[in-house]
Amino acid sequence: MTSIPRTAVIVGGNRIPFGKAGGAYAAASNQDMLTAALDGLVARFGLSGQRLGEVAAGAVLKHSRDFNLTREAVLGSALDPHTPAYDLQQACGTGLETVIQVSNKITLGQIDSGVAGGVDSASDAPIAVSEGLRKALIKAGAARTTAQRLKALGAIRPGDLTPETPRNAEARTGLSMGEHQARTAKEWGITREAQDELAAASHHRLAAAWDAGFFDDLATPFLRLTRDQGLRPDTSVEKLAKLSPVFGKGEGATLTAGNSTPLSDGAALVLLAEQEWARARNLPVLARIVDAEVAAVDYVGGGEGLLMAPAYAVPRLLARQGLSLQDFDLYEIHEAFASTVLATLAAWESPEFTRDRLGLEAPLGAVDRARLNVHGSSLAAGHPFAATGGRIVAGLAKMLSEKGPGSRGLVSICAAGGQGVVAILEAV
Amino acid sequence: MSVPDTEVELLEQSPSMARLVARALATGAGRPGAAGDLPTRRVVRTGVGVDVAELADYARVCGMTLRNEVPATYLHVLTFPLQVHLMAAADFPFAMAGMVHVGNEMTLHRPVDLGERLTLSTHADSLRPHRRGLTVDLVGSAQAGDETVWQGRSTYLVRGAPAEGVVVEPEDDLVDVVDLPWRAQWRLPASLGRRYAAVAGDVNPIHLSPLAAKAFGFPRAIAHGMWTHARVLAALEGRLPARHTVRVQFRKPVLLPSTVELRAGRAETGWDFAVTGRDGAREHLLGTVREPDQTG
Repeated sequence: MTSIPRTAVIVGGNRIPFGKAGGAYAAASNQDMLTAALDGLVARFGLSGQRLGEVAAGAVLKHSRDFNLTREAVLGSALDPHTPAYDLQQACGTGLETVIQVSNKITLGQIDSGVAGGVDSASDAPIAVSEGLRKALIKAGAARTTAQRLKALGAIRPGDLTPETPRNAEARTGLSMGEHQARTAKEWGITREAQDELAAASHHRLAAAWDAGFFDDLATPFLRLTRDQGLRPDTSVEKLAKLSPVFGKGEGATLTAGNSTPLSDGAALVLLAEQEWARARNLPVLARIVDAEVAAVDYVGGGEGLLMAPAYAVPRLLARQGLSLQDFDLYEIHEAFASTVLATLAAWESPEFTRDRLGLEAPLGAVDRARLNVHGSSLAAGHPFAATGGRIVAGLAKMLSEKGPGSRGLVSICAAGGQGVVAILEAV
Repeated sequence: MSVPDTEVELLEQSPSMARLVARALATGAGRPGAAGDLPTRRVVRTGVGVDVAELADYARVCGMTLRNEVPATYLHVLTFPLQVHLMAAADFPFAMAGMVHVGNEMTLHRPVDLGERLTLSTHADSLRPHRRGLTVDLVGSAQAGDETVWQGRSTYLVRGAPAEGVVVEPEDDLVDVVDLPWRAQWRLPASLGRRYAAVAGDVNPIHLSPLAAKAFGFPRAIAHGMWTHARVLAALEGRLPARHTVRVQFRKPVLLPSTVELRAGRAETGWDFAVTGRDGAREHLLGTVREPDQTG
C-alpha cells in the first residue's frame, strides 16, 4: 500500500481535577468521570460528532456492570457513536498502556486517531458479596423447585453476609502495596527526610503549575472542583516530618500518609493522532511517542521489590533506542510513594544492582533532579490508578513542546503485580 | 408569557413536600373548582443551588450521566415544590389529589452549570376547557441573575364535566408512534415510584404503593410521568441539542412493575419519541425535542 512512515503524536489531553476519596466526586461513578473527561477533550479539540479510530481506557477498581465502561462513556459523550472503544487494565500502568496501544495502532496504519487514558474511583468502589453468599445465590438462581431454592439459601451462614471491599493488597503476598514499598524503602536505605523532601517539592511544584495556568488547557473543572483536591500548597518538610509512619512497623518505618499517594478519584485522557492527520486538521502536534517498554519483576519468589519493575524496563528501552539515562530533558517518574521514585533512582546509580540484577557493566547513573517531575506528580495531584498515565503523558507532551522540537522525555510508571510501564516522548 | 408583577410570595426555604401533600389531600373537599379563580401571585425562591449528591441520586434513578450541566428535567424537579406549594394553598380552587399531569413543556435556553445560583418562580395560568374537564398550567422559570435560563409549563387536568355548550376537540398527538423506530426496552420495577419519589420529592401516594394507588382508582402504583420523561432524555444523552425545547403528552399511565419501550426518530433539529407498551399499541408518553425557536 504505502511506505510513507507514520508517526503517532500527542495532540493534547484533558483530565478532571483529581478528588480525594469521599471528596468532591463521592457521588460520581467511573462512567460519570470518564464521560466528563471525554466531553472536555471533545470540546477542546472540536471533535463533537466526529468518529475517531478508537477510545481505549480502563479502571482498576471496576464494578462488574461496567464491563463496557469506555464504550458506555463514548455512547454518552458528544463523540460520534460509531467510535469504537474498549477497556484495558494493567493496574496503575493502565493509562500509559492505553497510550502505547493507540500509538501502535496509529503507527501501523490501523487507525488515524484515538483517545487513551483511564479513570478510577476509590469513593464508588465495588463491594463484592462473600464467596459463601455468592455460591449460595448462584445455586438458588439455578434451582428448579422452591425446596431446592430454600435449601440453597439455607446454606448461607451469618458470616457470609459480611461484604468484601476491595483491598489495595497483592493476592499472592497478602501485603498491601504500602507494606511492600516499606520493605523496598528499607532495603534501599531511603531516608524519611529524602521522602518528605520529595513530597513537599511535589506539592509546591504542582501548586506553582496550577497558579501559572499550566493546566488551563489540560483540565476541565468537574462538579465544582477546579483544582486537585489533595494539593497542599502550604505543606513543608517540617509539617510532613510530624506525621507518623503508616506502613512498615517499628524502628526505621518511614512511609507516612504524607509521602504516600492518597486514594483518589479522577479521570485523564490523551488525544493521539497520526502526525499528518493532525496537521491536516490544524490540531496541535506536541510530541511523538518514540518507544515504550513494559517489564515485570518476580516479587513473589524472586526477592525483587513490588514496585521496582520500571528499574528494569528503562534500561531495556534505553538500550533499544541507543540512549543513555542522561539523554532526556525531562523525567516523569510516577510517585506511588516518594520512596518508589527514590529507590528507582538509587537502583540506576547502584553498581551492584546494575551488575547483579540488570546484567549491565556500568550503572545508568544519576538523574538531574531539576528535570524530574517538574510540575509535581502523584503525591500532590493524587493517584486515581488508571488515570495517572493520561495525566503524566499529556502534561509531559505539553512541557516538551514548550521546550522545543527534539526535546525528549522519559515516563516511568510502576504498577501492582510487579509491573512497570515506561515510554519515551519527543517534541515534534 | 408576561405576568403582571402584582404579587410575589417569597419562600425562604424549600417547602416540605410530605406536609404539603398531606395538607392538599386533607383540604381537597370543599374547594370551589371551576367556579373559583386561580391565584395570581407568583411563588418565588431565590439563591437556589444544586446539591451534587442529590443530583447524582436523581441521575442514577433516571439513567443519566452525572455532568456539570443540570438536566432540564431536574430544573423541573427544583421548581416542583413551588408548584405544590401553590396548589396546596387554601386559595387554589382545585383539589390537588384529583389532578392529572397530562402534558409538559420546557425550554432550556442555555446549559445550566450546577454551580449556579438560581431564582425559581412558579405561577398558575391558562385555565381552559378540556373534553374531560378543564386544564390548568403551572408555569415555572429559572433565572440566573437577569437571564432566564429555563422555562417550564406543566399542564394538569382537573377531571369533571366540560362547561356546557363548549365543544373541545381532542389535542393533536405530538407524534405518530407508527413512524418511530424501536430504540430500547426498559424493565421498570415495582419500587420505581418510591425510588423516584425519594430523589424528586413527588410523594403523591399513587406512585408509592399499589394500595394507595387503588384508593385513587388505579389498579397498581403508577410511574411518575416526569420519570418517564427524564428517562427518555437520558436515553438520548449526547444526542440532544445543547439548547432545547421538549414537549411531552402523558397518555395512559405506566403501571408498575412493567416493561415499556422507547421509540424515537430523528427530526430536523432533534427527536420525535414515544414510550409505549411492549406491543407498541399502548401509548404512555408522546413527545418532541427541538432546538428552541429564536422568538422564544
